[in-house]
Amino acid sequence: MDSLIISNICQRPTRTLVSVAGVALGVVLVVINTGLVRGMLNERMMREQNIGAEIMFSRKGAGSPLSPSSVLSLDVRYVDRLAKILGVKAVSPVGRYVQTGSSGIGIEQVDGIDFQSYTAISGLRIVEGRVFQADDEVIIDEKKAHDSKAGIGSEIQVFGKRLKVVGIYAPVSGSRIKISLESLQRLLSSPNKCQFIYVKCNDPENQVEVLKRINTQLPGNIVVLTRDLVLGFGNSIPGLDGFVKAVLALSTVVSTLVILLAMYTTITERTREIGILKALGASKRYIVGVIEKEALAISLIGVAVGLLIAWVAGWGIERATSLQLEYHWTWVVVATLIGLAAGVIGALYPALRAANQDPVKALAYE
Amino acid sequence: MNPILQTEDLAMTYHVGKVDVPALRGVNLAVAPGEFVAVMGPSGCGKSTLLHILGGLLKPTSGRVVVDGEDLAAVSDAARTDIRRRKIGFVFQRFNLFPTLTAEGNLRLAEHIHGNGKRQENDETRREILKLLRLENKMRHKPLELSGGEQQRVAIARAVINHPAILLADEPTGNLDSENSAIVLRMLAQLNRELGQTIVMITHNPEAAAVTKRTIEMRDGMILKG
Repeated sequence: MDSLIISNICQRPTRTLVSVAGVALGVVLVVINTGLVRGMLNERMMREQNIGAEIMFSRKGAGSPLSPSSVLSLDVRYVDRLAKILGVKAVSPVGRYVQTGSSGIGIEQVDGIDFQSYTAISGLRIVEGRVFQADDEVIIDEKKAHDSKAGIGSEIQVFGKRLKVVGIYAPVSGSRIKISLESLQRLLSSPNKCQFIYVKCNDPENQVEVLKRINTQLPGNIVVLTRDLVLGFGNSIPGLDGFVKAVLALSTVVSTLVILLAMYTTITERTREIGILKALGASKRYIVGVIEKEALAISLIGVAVGLLIAWVAGWGIERATSLQLEYHWTWVVVATLIGLAAGVIGALYPALRAANQDPVKALAYE
Repeated sequence: MNPILQTEDLAMTYHVGKVDVPALRGVNLAVAPGEFVAVMGPSGCGKSTLLHILGGLLKPTSGRVVVDGEDLAAVSDAARTDIRRRKIGFVFQRFNLFPTLTAEGNLRLAEHIHGNGKRQENDETRREILKLLRLENKMRHKPLELSGGEQQRVAIARAVINHPAILLADEPTGNLDSENSAIVLRMLAQLNRELGQTIVMITHNPEAAAVTKRTIEMRDGMILKG
């Protein structure tokens, strides 16, 4: 039977290719999209964690530091009030501006920071050049410098303007592009405002107590532990879960339909051969097995091709854009199962149809 | 000797729209083990219907068809398929080989189906049959690389490789020239003689019928003679 399956697969290379492409497309959709989501989230979380603050303070409606909002709604006077709370070591106000990625794909965030207080929390240091001193000056992290091939003196696009890179900093933390908070306030016409305030505790072990004190002394604000931001980050992006589910559903439907159509065409083409199988005494189960195994073999090839394409595409996307991909074996397994399930489910109707054919009519089929 | 194939009052009526078309009207037939029987008759006389019923491809409207002790008319579709797998071999006018498989692949597939999905190959039997049908050197060829006569010999090998109780041949020389027809008929006769294979052959060709031991004549769904 195996040689029949292999020979059938080889007999119609175009049909096999189209079927393989259909399954591969589903696999690529799942792996790339989940890889992108995971990569972007983890990379952003890593950068947020690198800031070194245990608590983030913001106003309702300002969004989380990871969400795409450019509204500066928090009065910077909260900085002084937070600094006076017991257990607080340092505070730093941050404004954030969200723009389209420099490659035209995805988004890019620009942090407006108070350099002194931010470095006190994060340990950020200038490794090349100097800190910004004017509204048209920015500092960027080493990865941004590497990816954009930007050095001291080069210009990058922020707020639709060409701003000059005057310094490169390390380690990566928060957004990759930073300007002074005052500059951002002027550019967004929001004087004395910021988006959120990072709070560093004297003793990280006491962060929960400090958070409670902040909530008590400054009620009505959003006060969260940055470690919880990491845990709840996926939920903070509206529609993310729905998007992933939609991708899974779309992949399953596309792959299943492609296999269904391909196998349906196949059994119509091979009606007489199915008649021969029946004449030889092949049971319905045997015939279903032949067709299902063929679909499964095509799906396996499709899964392998899809994973290969996803890997190559991921490599290309990371090189060509600022997007980050992070593949996880769980999603590779999910994509593989979707591809194989699509093969089995898609081939089921054609297989049952073939198995139920009248042998005499099938043998007379021209 | 008990017949290996027997029909009793076999009737078959096709329903075409609202019209009933009788194809077989009470066929009584008995074939002894090792017999080589030809069934002749004009087109539409019911020969093919009879062959399909004898092979379990069709269920008769009424009557009995007993093959090697099992009544094909009294069992389910699945059971009929199973009897066909174990006891019946088919040879068709159009050869009906799998075009994507080699001659060897066609034989192995028949063995695989006969073994119900398990490998069931008997190399000695295979050698004997291939030698008898002069196919030893053709096993790696695909059907389209073989002549019509060779294809039909492969089809015969496929039909007998699992030692069926009966071999049903439907116009086996209908697509062959006279030279290849003669070869195929000679080989069928040889299979019957040397392996004791029971054969029921439908044919229009009196020369083909001449190689058999008995000729049954059919007309209007009934046996006239034989």
